[in-house]
Amino acid sequence: MALAFDEFGRPFIILREQDQKTRLRGIDAQKANIAAGKAVARILRSSLGPKGMDKMLQGPDGDVTITNDGATILEQMDVDNQIAKLMVELSRSQDYEIGDGTTGVVVMAGALLEQAERQLDRGIHPIRVAEGYEMASRVAVEHLERISQKFEFDVNNFEPLVQTCMTTLSSKIVNRCKRSLAEIAVKAVLAVADLERRDVNLDLIKIEGKVGGNLEDTELIYGILVDKDMSHPQMPKQIEDAHIAILTCPFEPPKPKTKHKVDIDTVEKFETLRKQEQQYFDEMVQKCKDVGATLVICQWGFDDEANHLLMHRNLPAVRWVGGVELELIAIATGGRIVPRFQELTPEKLGKAGMVREKSFGTTKERMLYIEHCANSKAVTIFIRGGNKMMIEETKRSIHDALCVARNLIRNKSIVYGGGAAEIACSLAVDAAADKYPGVEQYAIRAFAEALDSVPMALAENSGLQPIETLSAVKSQQLKENIPFYGIDCNDVGTNDMREQNVFETLIGKQQQILLATQVVKMILKIDDVISNSEY
Amino acid sequence: MSSMMQPQIILLKEGTDTSQGKAQLLSNINAVTAVGDVVRTTLGPRGMDKLIHDDKGSVTISNDGATIMKLLDIVHPAAKILVDIAKSQDSEVGDGTTTVVLLAAEFLKEAKPFVEDGVHSQNLIRSYRTASTLAIEKVKELAVSIEGKSVEEKKGLLAKCAATTLSSKLIGGEKEFFATMVVDAVIAIGDDDRLNLIGIKKVPGGNMRDSFLVDGVAFKKTFSYAGFEQQPKKFLNPKILLLNIELELKSEKENAEIRLSDPSQYQSIVDAEWNIIYDKLDKCVESGAKVVLSRLAIGDLATQYFADRDIFCAGRVAEADLNRVAAAAGGTVQTSVNNIIPEVLGTCEIFEEKQVGGERFNIFSGCPSGRTATIVLRGGADQFIEEAERSLHDAIMIVRRAVKNSTVVPGGGAIDMEISKYLRQHSRTIAGKSQLFINSYAKALEVIPRQLCDNAGFDATDVLNKLRQKHAMQSGEGASYGVDINTGGIADSFASFVWEPAVVKINAINAATEAACLILSVDETVKNPKSESAQGDAAAGAMGRGRGGGRGRGMRRR
Repeated sequence: MALAFDEFGRPFIILREQDQKTRLRGIDAQKANIAAGKAVARILRSSLGPKGMDKMLQGPDGDVTITNDGATILEQMDVDNQIAKLMVELSRSQDYEIGDGTTGVVVMAGALLEQAERQLDRGIHPIRVAEGYEMASRVAVEHLERISQKFEFDVNNFEPLVQTCMTTLSSKIVNRCKRSLAEIAVKAVLAVADLERRDVNLDLIKIEGKVGGNLEDTELIYGILVDKDMSHPQMPKQIEDAHIAILTCPFEPPKPKTKHKVDIDTVEKFETLRKQEQQYFDEMVQKCKDVGATLVICQWGFDDEANHLLMHRNLPAVRWVGGVELELIAIATGGRIVPRFQELTPEKLGKAGMVREKSFGTTKERMLYIEHCANSKAVTIFIRGGNKMMIEETKRSIHDALCVARNLIRNKSIVYGGGAAEIACSLAVDAAADKYPGVEQYAIRAFAEALDSVPMALAENSGLQPIETLSAVKSQQLKENIPFYGIDCNDVGTNDMREQNVFETLIGKQQQILLATQVVKMILKIDDVISNSEY
Repeated sequence: MSSMMQPQIILLKEGTDTSQGKAQLLSNINAVTAVGDVVRTTLGPRGMDKLIHDDKGSVTISNDGATIMKLLDIVHPAAKILVDIAKSQDSEVGDGTTTVVLLAAEFLKEAKPFVEDGVHSQNLIRSYRTASTLAIEKVKELAVSIEGKSVEEKKGLLAKCAATTLSSKLIGGEKEFFATMVVDAVIAIGDDDRLNLIGIKKVPGGNMRDSFLVDGVAFKKTFSYAGFEQQPKKFLNPKILLLNIELELKSEKENAEIRLSDPSQYQSIVDAEWNIIYDKLDKCVESGAKVVLSRLAIGDLATQYFADRDIFCAGRVAEADLNRVAAAAGGTVQTSVNNIIPEVLGTCEIFEEKQVGGERFNIFSGCPSGRTATIVLRGGADQFIEEAERSLHDAIMIVRRAVKNSTVVPGGGAIDMEISKYLRQHSRTIAGKSQLFINSYAKALEVIPRQLCDNAGFDATDVLNKLRQKHAMQSGEGASYGVDINTGGIADSFASFVWEPAVVKINAINAATEAACLILSVDETVKNPKSESAQGDAAAGAMGRGRGGGRGRGMRRR
């Protein structure tokens, strides 16, 4: 690449190593960027909707992921192109904020880019296209607000929540038991939700998985599940009405942090030291006993002597429990984490109705259930499944469902799925386009057309005639002025999404449109790409 | 006879490349113009962005002139001057970095035909200097003061300035939203010169409308130990203790060693150590503070201790954040927990831990001194937020400048057209060569409105002629007409609130003229041969500095 030449045609050296750099500018740069963005969207397009397909991705060290979650696919693809990376981040940010609709947002952005290309071919300035898109997105978001409906639900009547979560799960591999999974997700969210502040801390929901059993065995535990067993095989496997001491100090003689040395020069001294050590163990166990603990959960390990002593004194114990789990146990049981034996008091003990160790099938693996806790603000979803990939995918699906439930608690509004919302927006945007003077009008119409691509992809993936189906639904919506008609992906026989109970959250849909517009604007605004040729 | 045998005098190291005279001057001008062409398209509301890979493979998408110039990694000695003026414009006023590069390139381009015709460059330089002085005086004369308005009114005016800057950026679609935010932030920190009191935090996710301003401090949740979740997460009017010590169980002295001969004393050592830390923690609690922040670690023991006493704590808070909390809440950072007097504790109306996207944030709002502000930026992609941050930085600088020297000029190329007209008129009163030069300087200033039109895809000649007609009106009512970016015609920039602080224009004209004069005054370049070692940077820096420097380097190496 050379920026300027002297009178003999020799290039000036203006940039460092400029002969190794390449430069793409003007309309070529935009075309190349659009092509890259479209390519990413094309990959995800077939994953959209209940009949969408999964992708199998092999990581650099041979681990295999099978998923149809947009954010996960893009994350694992490890793309190199900068524009493609923007699409990945787009999907990721939808994932962070909403948790669901990660495929839809990319498909939407891809469609917008495709339409933008057409406008560029017509000679419309890219910024004006982007500005038109921005106007259109505002119209669409407002229209969504208008057609949205409020859902009334409370702790006892959570059916609407379940229905919405089922819509999310229906596009996943686990849709076989979407009903039960959706219920689990909703119950879990309701258990930890702060309905007054409309806030849900998803950190309080722990998702554990174990290979084996059926997907149907997946359960919700009102309490904590720890992948640990009792420190001694002979300790009781079940403790009712447990008082739990949660310790962050090890069961061993305390060590000063300062460098120290104990000089032993006589046998007597050695004897005293040994006795003292024994006494320490004894005292520690005694302290736990004294405050009335019936179970000890320890962040660190303890050596065999302590273990034996605990066993002897009939005090069951669990060792090497991680910090995060320890915290969750403390929250669930209403106990306090105790850093020192001297600080143990009966008030600091956590209380749980039932602690039991459960083994699975023929394997030797055991897990510890801590249930009926004093404060059930921490729950665990325990997933079973035939293989690891299945469990991982289920985890992701449940995460999506949890996010949807959380979003509904934050904002009760929903819109209808199955492409119904997109079609309604498309109609609204198309109608609004005529009101704008100037070139932007074309861009706004293009936006309306891009909105159609989501229902189109849905129809295509479901094996329907995309154009026919879409135009039929569109005319139906327009004729009856009802925004509930969508694509009948599952061939139920009706287009009415109210009857099919296909719902999506309003904020999720709005976010999709806004994010896609934002990223498309960013891509359209680039007219110069300067890179080292190896990229 | 002997003179014939005399060997050639070797003055420079072998392989040194020298070029001089007119050809050299012209080639420098060509190089500068080429660089100017790169940033040309980023000017104005319809300006485009550049995507630049640097040699480490990281990528930046930007519209900011200074950022682009920095990333282009220019080695040409003359063209490097452009990078410097862009940087100086950036640090001096923050905005107008593209303008300054464009003006410098255009001044040189106008000078080129004269140089080719054999005009001595010192003549050009003298005229350019006069022209720039005249231009700056004219800007000052045309500038409208916004001093003496009420706070509310002033805020509105400042927001207009910020919006003008932002309109050319990626976040231009939401310029009003961000402009008010920036103005609020700048007003909040008052006359204080420390820009670092405005924090910008980036959280990926959400859309830009989700960005918000905190009238206090916000920072990301720090690493926490077990027990943290049991601490209360919201306080009203809490006392805040700021520390710069570790609250951890550790040895007090690194190199100390304890020797025990009696095993029974063992426990006392252990107890002593625990007492030290408990003593510290007790003092923190006694001070009455409800929020404890430390720049160093707060260990698990302390976390649980505080949790038991309903106190919130955060360790390893970044120093900048801690200082901002200190400034906002009115506390002082303590290096010891002894003798904590109530005066060193800060306070704020509400402290809360909030979920922002995928991250949790500690937010202190309603601080008494109110001298800080934090902008939490949201956006769909990392690149997006990066660029948004750069844009906001520009806007903040502009608003600060406008607060200090409260004079504004109409943007959209209006002021440039007006100066151009003025200089043309002035040139006619001069007899001699200077008339031509000042005239060409005036013509060069028209590049701003011309480029604005070109970038927007309008017919530049057409628009420029309309503008010239308006500005030529005797009554002077057309003085504030500039390019109307929406219709492709012309409009009164002042009336449509396209404003920029006068200081931006003044600085841009000054810097661009300086750079042009500097390049015009160079008539010889000596380029040292490339050294084998990777000292390319140093060599490139010395290249433009003339003969003496070049030779000095060569000798030192021997």
